[in-house]
Formats: sequence, structure tokens, C-alpha cells
Amino acid sequence: MLGKLTIDAIPWDQPIPLIAGCVVFAVAIALVLWVILKGHLPYLWREWITSVDHKRIGVMYVLLGMVMLVRGFIDAIMMRSQQAIAFDAPGYLPPEHYDQVFSAHGTIMIFFAAMPLMIGLMNFAVPLQLGVRDVAFPTLNSTSFWLTATGALLVNLSLVIGEFARTGWLPYPPLSELRYSPGVGVDYYLWALQISGVGTLLTGINFVTTILKIRAPGMGYLRMPMFCWTSLAANLLIVAAFPVLTATLAMLLLDRYLGFHFFTNTAGGNMMMFINLIWVWGHPEVYILVLPAFGIYSEVISTFSSKPLFGYRSMVMATMAICLISFLVWLHHFFTMGAGGNVNGVFGIATSIIAVATGVKVYNWLFTMYGGRIRFTTPMMWSMGFLITFVIGGMTGVLLAVPPADFLLHNSLFLVAHFHNVIIGGVLFAGFAGITYWFPKAFGFRLHEGWGQAAFWLSFLGFYVVFVPLYAMGLLGMTRRLQHYEVAAWHPWALVAAGGIVIMALAALCQAMQFVVSIRRRDELKDELGDPWNGRSLEWSTASPPPVFNFAVLPNVRGEEPYWQIKRRAIETQQLSPEPRYEAIEMPRNSPTGFITAFFCTITGFALIWHIWWLMGVGIAAAYAVFVWFAWRDVEEYRIPAEEVARLDRERRGAREKWLAEHAPESAPA
Amino acid sequence: MSATEALRQGRPGEVDPYKLGRGRAPVPGHGGGGRDYATGHGEGGPASKRVIVGYGFWIFLLSDIVMFSAFFAAHAVLQTATAGGPTGRELFNPTHVAIETAALLASSFTCGLSAVATEARSQAWTQFFLLVTGLLGLVFLSLEAREFADMVARGAGPQRSAFLSSFFAVVGLHGCHVTAGELWLGTMMAQVFVKGFRPNIMRRLVCFNLFWHALDIIWVALFTIVYLIGEGR
Amino acid sequence: MTPGDDDLDHNADDVAPGFMDAVDHTPREGIQGYLIGFGLAILLTLASFYVAGTRFIWGPGIPVMLVMLAVAQIGVHLVFFLHLTTAPDNTNNVLALAFGVLIVALVVGGSVWIMAHLDENMMPMGQMRGM
Repeated sequence: MLGKLTIDAIPWDQPIPLIAGCVVFAVAIALVLWVILKGHLPYLWREWITSVDHKRIGVMYVLLGMVMLVRGFIDAIMMRSQQAIAFDAPGYLPPEHYDQVFSAHGTIMIFFAAMPLMIGLMNFAVPLQLGVRDVAFPTLNSTSFWLTATGALLVNLSLVIGEFARTGWLPYPPLSELRYSPGVGVDYYLWALQISGVGTLLTGINFVTTILKIRAPGMGYLRMPMFCWTSLAANLLIVAAFPVLTATLAMLLLDRYLGFHFFTNTAGGNMMMFINLIWVWGHPEVYILVLPAFGIYSEVISTFSSKPLFGYRSMVMATMAICLISFLVWLHHFFTMGAGGNVNGVFGIATSIIAVATGVKVYNWLFTMYGGRIRFTTPMMWSMGFLITFVIGGMTGVLLAVPPADFLLHNSLFLVAHFHNVIIGGVLFAGFAGITYWFPKAFGFRLHEGWGQAAFWLSFLGFYVVFVPLYAMGLLGMTRRLQHYEVAAWHPWALVAAGGIVIMALAALCQAMQFVVSIRRRDELKDELGDPWNGRSLEWSTASPPPVFNFAVLPNVRGEEPYWQIKRRAIETQQLSPEPRYEAIEMPRNSPTGFITAFFCTITGFALIWHIWWLMGVGIAAAYAVFVWFAWRDVEEYRIPAEEVARLDRERRGAREKWLAEHAPESAPA
Repeated sequence: MSATEALRQGRPGEVDPYKLGRGRAPVPGHGGGGRDYATGHGEGGPASKRVIVGYGFWIFLLSDIVMFSAFFAAHAVLQTATAGGPTGRELFNPTHVAIETAALLASSFTCGLSAVATEARSQAWTQFFLLVTGLLGLVFLSLEAREFADMVARGAGPQRSAFLSSFFAVVGLHGCHVTAGELWLGTMMAQVFVKGFRPNIMRRLVCFNLFWHALDIIWVALFTIVYLIGEGR
Repeated sequence: MTPGDDDLDHNADDVAPGFMDAVDHTPREGIQGYLIGFGLAILLTLASFYVAGTRFIWGPGIPVMLVMLAVAQIGVHLVFFLHLTTAPDNTNNVLALAFGVLIVALVVGGSVWIMAHLDENMMPMGQMRGM
């Protein structure tokens, strides 16, 4: 009746997950009760849960990413503290538990923290930067978000019902096969990723179509902001790579559920093929993460250097080169698997070549800053921190790209330090930069600058205190994922790294304080104009927050940095362009489809994990029924009358006219 | 005057640009003075809904083909891993495959005919050809199911060897797609019957056509690589 | 204008895949297109089955021939059934297809190349058994 599920699935005998689960459960219940009792549920349902507005969906993605970042960070604290004390000692985390912690850490950070952060920022900003009203497929967008949330939910459920995988964030066979991982852990991992993988793939399709087919009039390809170019490249990679992930995990699922022999030890299975195929996905994945980050830096650096981005065309070429070459390097993740010198050499050289394209971008950012009037705001600090940190991480990457060097360093802490270096320096810093940069646009008030700077400096410092020791430990021979060790030389480094994690925890607290203080003081920090940073791209021409339709009239784009041209003209002539003729606008209706489909996918996933076959059938049938019901609706759009459009736009124009009146032509906003 | 209006001179009473309509190019096509005023891929503003939906679905199809390619790659690697069990030569029956191929190819043809009927707005012919397409697809599926059942009965099921695992997976994945296509086909027949040839129904029919033809394209690769070349081993 | 009423706009400059936009045609012309495609596909299929079983072609050349016939048949499908052309309004669609083909080639070709090399540094099986 309930498959493999019994009351023993709850970890009664393990205090850490039990207490953690109780706390989270209590907080969740409290939150839900508060929402319902305060009467916020109708608002939440109408404005957020069923929203198909890219801005709302973007905010929800970022929120999901931030929450999961905290969860992943707690896993990191556990790992660092365990390794600090487990010298010649068992530590406080037994191996079967420690293995789940590092597996969950990686899985959550990549799939449910970093990806949602980047996808959320793309969701929010790309349609605004393109000067259009929404993405190509708004309801699909909502579905993508809720499917990602489903995956996150399943992974977190494994903490309190059952267990998580013990295989690391990529479940290599034969360890991940049924024989050596008979529990539900690997199944939780697999179904969570299959479901959220579908969501991500749909996002990829959505954004490729949007960027290639839906842009404001006059916006040819070479007039798009850089963030849109990097988003295009990242989404092309999603479309190309995620199907391979789906296929490979499906093969592992077939092995586990139906006794197939893709990767088994017996009957001809080839476990090395899993490693090959999973990294065909895995390498493009890291570029999917870092390309939007590069785009964010391009926007932030040019805005806060008060200069156009240097070398726009070379940036475009470098971006597309990275997009292409990222599909030619995947073997560098398994140089030691034995493909021989020729094969290793080809992929090693390709890996070095891709570094050149990234180098082009770094130089362009530096030249953008050179000769500019730099404002050291929080987003700019994150960007400058990125430039230093990412270059170091990139250099260790080029070192690892040399196969003989990699033979010594593969799967050591040196590798771990390298990829954290590039992901934290690249993706995480960009996430914070992007959030701080676009927060006023999304919510109408800025984030508190002081707490933001504190968060930056503590993160920057904390990162190095954690990871430089890890480089040292790697060079001293320490392998990754060790639950305990007996080598005395490693211990002092482990202690330093644990100290560093404390600094990073303080940084996280500063981030939290930044939000709390900003919300409390939101009237002081209000963004009246809609352009708090003297921006250069089209999103800054809207009000903060923008109306649901973004632009009352799609802008006419005449060159690169369209908004900058519009703004200069307005300041010089001391007047706005004439009021346009307002027309009624039709926007897509909200729909609960995404949420309900994801709900049934959660049920289906849970049922599959615990082998509750009848429930699986119910879930699939219900998800299909929802799809058909949605496909049957007659009215897809609702109409905003011209008077309403005019009213909202006149408010926006009023704020800008007021700003013009207060500022002489030669000055610019601070 | 709004930008889109500037492009759409002479079209009074236009409503919302978000309807992603009619970018009329003042300078048609490519290469006119180096500027491309086309909608969608050029500077002409957003493309029409039809183009957007069609292109998006095309990208989805390409992603699906990449997924198949991963299974093809696995099959290529595992095709000699028979673990002492049956090989392709022992198992595959060319006549059987030929009939399956004929059924699917014919169904692709009738699907195309239904597209012609749809453009001519003929409810009867559309439904007729969609029905024939569906029936031919069912023929294909039942033949495939029988082949699978036979193989399992002979001890050549997917659990026997890695080669057979990859065979069942790649052919079975295609069969799953055909099954999903049948479900979609049924839904479309119902929608066309109830709602007629509305624009959004037309767009969905085109997507369905793309899907069904893509299935035949994958089958061409399948029968060539898995069955015909595989038989030579 | 009612919602979604944009469907018969033959003046949109881009063409969606699957649409026979570029050419205004009668139903008869439409059927002809599909008939030609169907006929060609049948011929190519028959050719494939013949080649697979024949002794008139050098053995190792058979897979090559089969692949070429498959590519030709896929081309027939793309042109006659999916209406993919090289017209400028179809450029995005062809580019997307090219991208897809490239990825497929990299995934399949790369995987086969790598996996075939994995025993590069292994001892020959005979010697291994002797140990």
C-alpha cells in the first residue's frame, strides 16, 4: 500500500536531522499559519503563486536560491567543523551521515541555489532589457519555477523522511547502483533532478525563443545589452546539455528500477560511460552558471564606471566562443580515467583555449573601468572582488587543465578549492551583485549600503580564509570528501578553514541584516525615479517597480545603450520625449497550472522514490489532466484599458519630469 | 507615435504591440543597406505569435533529439556488450522492422495530409487524416510491443545484457514518444472538434505535425543504426 | 482585433518551422509536396533495406552507405514534411538545426572516441590473464 515507506523512514535515532527537521517544520507551519491568519493567502495566490509575470517569477527564483543557499551553507559549516576536529578522531558526524552532508551540499548548491539565482536574475532582467513585455511562454515560465521548487522540496524532504544519497553530487556507479546503494537516497536525488531538470530545460527553450524572436523594435542583435547575450549563450547551453543529463540519469534509473545494465558491474555494463555522459552535461552546466554571471558583471561594471562596456563586439565573440568551446572540454573532469595521452591532450588544449576567451572578457572589464568615474557601491565591490577572485580560480583551473598536473591533483582538495574559487568568485558574487543592483527596480527601494559593504568584505575575506588552506591541503595530498584523517600536516589548515567559515557565517548574517534594515527603512531608501544608479539599459527607463506590462509603448531602439541615448537627449533638451498615444494592452492571464502540475509531480516523485506505484499512477494522470484542462481554456489574455496604461505611465513621466527640473544638464544622479 | 506604429504605417486601429504582431518591414528582407528590418530575427520588433510558438517548439524538438543522441551514444558504446547473450543478428527480423517503418512513414504522410486539410479548414478531412495517422501509429506501437514481448519471452529482455539494455532503452524511448504523441493526437482531435480552427488550435496542430514528423526522423536513424547496422554484428 | 487573431499574417517576415508560409499554395500543391516527399522516402527506405542485406557492396562499406541513405531520408523529411528551406526567412530555423546537429555529433562522436580509448593504457587481455 505504501511501498517501501514505513514509520522507520523518519530518523528517530539521529538527533541532527531530527532536530533540524523539527525546526524547519515548525518554522514552515508557523509561516503558513501567519499567512493564512493575516489574510495574505488570496494576495499570495493571486499575485505570486499563480503569476506568470517574469518579474514575479524572477523574484521567487531568487528567493528559492537564497533559502537553499542557507541550507547548503549549513552543510558546509558541518563539513568544515567535522574536518577541523576529525584529526585522529571520529568527529561528530559518522561516515554514513557525513557522506549525505557533502552530497547534499553539492547538489543543493548547484541545482537549487546557484541555478535559481542566475535563472531568477535572467527572468527578471532580460525582458526589461530587451524592451518587451514578457518572455515567449509565460505560463511555461511559471511551470519551470514550480518544477524547480519541487526538486528542492524533494531533496529537503529526504532529510526527514528516509535519507539522501551518499554518492557525492554526481552519483557515480557502481556505488550509485542498487547493489551498493539499496536505500532511497539515490532515488531522492535522481527524481528531484529529473523533475527540476525538465523545469530548467523549459526555461532554456523559453529564453532562447525570447531573445531571438522578441525584442523591441530597432534592437538588432548587436544592440542587445551584454547580459542578454550571455543569457542567450547560457540558455543555448541549457537546451543542448540538459537533455543529456536527463538521459544519463534516466539510464541510472532504469538500472535501479528495472534491472537494466547500463552501468552495472555485471552483464556488460560500463560505469565509465556514466562518467563520460554526465560530464558531457556537467561541463556546460558550469558555463550555464557562469555566463549569466559574466553578463551581470558587464552591466554592473559599465554602469558604475560611468562608461559604456569596452569592446562590445569582442565580448559578444568571446561569449559565443565560450558557449561553443564549453562543449569541447568535458573530458578534463576525468583525465585520470585512462583515455590515454592523445585524447587527454586534445581536451587539455581545448580547456586552455577556453581560458583565452574568458581572459578577453576580463581585459574588457578592466578597460571599461580604466578612465571611468568609478562609484564604489556594493554591486561594484562584488564585481571587483570577482575580478580578483575569479582570475585566481581560473589560473588554478588552467593548471588543472594540464593532464600530468591533474593526475596529481584530481579529486584532491586543490580541485575542491579551484571550483569553489570560480563558483563563489564568479557565480555567487554575481548573484549578490545582481540582487543588489536590480533590487530597487524590483521593489522600489534600495538595499542598505552599509550592511551590503559589510557583507561583501566579510565574504571576500572569509572566502580566502576558507579556501586558501584548502589549496594547501590539496597540494599536501589530502583527498576530497574525507570524514576523518590521520595526517598531522593537514590539521592546522583545517582549523584555519573552519575559522574562515565563521567569517563567512558573519557575512551571511550581514546579508540578512541588510534585508531586514532595508525593509524597515524602505521609505528613506525609496527609488522615486526608477533609475537609482544612472543606468544605461532599458530596464532603468521603467518605474520601480515596473507596471505589469513593463513598457506602456515598446521603446524605439536606435543604438547600443538605448536608454543612455534617451536620457542624454532628455537632459540636454530639458524635456522628455512627447507623450505617446496610449493603447490598451493585453497581458497573459495568471494560471495555477504551473503550481498544480508541480504539486502532482511532487506526489509522483515521492511515490516513485518509495515504490508506491498506485500513487505514481495517480500523480501522472492528474498532471496530464491539469495540462489538458489548461489547454482547454478559452480566454488566454486580459485587457488593460488605455486609460489605466496612461495613468501609470504618466506617473512614471511625472517622476522623471520632476527629476529633470531638479537637475541641471551637466549633473548626473549620485 | 510609438515605434511599432512607425513600422506599421498605414494600419489603423492596431491594438497592443504585445500581441507580437505584424512588423511590416519598410526595407524588406536582408541586406537592404545592411539593416535587417524583419520581425523576430531582425530589428523589426517582436515576431508574431505563430513564429514564436513554432520556433520555441522547434528548439524543444532539437533538445529532444539531443536526449536521443545520448541514448544512441550509449548504444554505440554498448552494442558489443552482449555478455554471452543474444546479439542483434540473432534477434532482429528485417521484415518486421520494414513493416514498422512502413507504418510510421505512412503515418507521417497522412499527418502531412491532415495539415493540408487544416489549412483548407476542412473539419472532416482533418479529423479523417488525423484518425488514420493515429491508427497507423497504433499499428507501429503494437508491432513494437509484440517484438519486445517476444524478446523478453526468449530470455533476451533488457536485464540480460548491457547491449539489450541499451536497445530496449533507445527503441523504447522512441516508443514512449510515439505513445505520448498518440495521447496528444487524441487531445487535438477533440480540441479541433469542439473549438474549430481557432488560431491557437492551428498553432498547436502545427506543433503536433512537427512532433510527429520528428518522430519519423528519429525512427529513420533508429532503424538504420540499431537494426540495419546492428544486424551486421 | 480579437486576441490571437494574427494567424493568417503572411506578411510577417520570419517563418516558423512547419509552416508553408513562404509560398502561397493550393491544397493540391500541398498534397503534391507531401506525395513527392513520401515517394522519395519510400525509395530511400527500400534502398536501405536492400543495401543492408546485399552482397553486391563491399562489407565494410555497408554501414557508410546506410548512414548516407539515412541522412538523405532525414533531409527529405526536413524539406518536404517540415518545410525547412534555405530562404532568408528560415535562417533562424536552419541555424538552430545546425546547432542541434553539431551537439549530436559532439555527444555521439566524442563519446564513442573517448570510450573506445579507455583501455589505451591497459595491458593486453592475454597478458592480464597470465598474471
